[in-house]
Amino acid sequence: MRNRLRDRWCLVLGASSGMGRATALALAEQGAHVAGVHFDRADGVQAARELECTLRSQGVRAHLFNVNAASDRGRTRLVPALAELTGGRPLRTVLHSLAFGSLVPFLPTDDTKQALTRAQLEMTLDVMAHSLVYWTQDLLAAGLVAEGTRIFAMTSAGTSQVLPSYGAVSAAKAALESHVRQLACELAPHGASVNALRAGVTVTPSLLRIPGHEEFVGDSAAGNPHGRLTIPEDVAEAVVLLSNAPSSWLTGNTIGVDGAELVAAGATWSRREATR
Amino acid sequence: MAEETRTAPDRASHAALDRERLRGLLAEILDVDVAQISDQAHFVDDLGVDSLMALEITVRLEAEFPVKLAEEELTQLATLDDTYALLDAKLRAAS
Repeated sequence: MRNRLRDRWCLVLGASSGMGRATALALAEQGAHVAGVHFDRADGVQAARELECTLRSQGVRAHLFNVNAASDRGRTRLVPALAELTGGRPLRTVLHSLAFGSLVPFLPTDDTKQALTRAQLEMTLDVMAHSLVYWTQDLLAAGLVAEGTRIFAMTSAGTSQVLPSYGAVSAAKAALESHVRQLACELAPHGASVNALRAGVTVTPSLLRIPGHEEFVGDSAAGNPHGRLTIPEDVAEAVVLLSNAPSSWLTGNTIGVDGAELVAAGATWSRREATR
Repeated sequence: MAEETRTAPDRASHAALDRERLRGLLAEILDVDVAQISDQAHFVDDLGVDSLMALEITVRLEAEFPVKLAEEELTQLATLDDTYALLDAKLRAAS
């Protein structure tokens, strides 16, 4: 397949760790220039600087911005900066991989007296779902989303599975997938596509913040028919592959990037793996 | 132009700690009137600061002043007074 990423700018929202970071590296490897937005304290800033150097060592241009991508102020400052970087040329790929939300149960339990507040629920939806809409609006207005742009948003099995403390994020992912479908139809006349990528359970800094992650990491690794968890590079591979799609026909979907983890029934496949 | 990782201000260019400048900075970050940032106004209870805004405060403070803030220190920051005291202590310790 022709490389449609070479010498094209891509935007990664949530670039400093996990899937965003892996995707930034994979895009640069394909010869794409990478603009990334991250939001980190001092240690993360240092790591982002190193990532920027690594990206540039591929011979591409790279700029990472330490800005709250979910805030109106951050976005309205970044969009003109991005237009300046690309010289007004549309982005080839946009990855929405913002993971920041409240991991608090809806109702108090004996262990946690805490219950989710309105502010926490609204913030989680705003960051992890609605920001995709606002970014798409502003990038389109700036000519940065146009014919050939491929937009991807990271979702999770949380849209169909319930985990303790994950209620707000589950709701955000459900809203995100709905936004993807709506945007796919509204972007069709512009020749741009948008899809949600549903990664399997992946060990990233964001996952490690989820209470009780140890159990479902173990269960997921055992239940995945491939006998392992998803790694950030699996997601990066899918983004690179789909970014090279010549048309915008593949759009409006939620695409599993999980080694068939979601559809595999219980632990039946891990036993087969073990007795092979 | 948004602040970029590669052009984070170098340490020598940081301005000295000033209570009113800190008040103005917090008002800007929280998008409220300066008058609302009284010395004792509680970030969470009075100003509605959530975890994302708390991170925004931290990132901006680390960019404006030559300090690093640990996660557990953040939870101690409830008011302008607290923030001033912590920054003052850190800047003194560093000088």
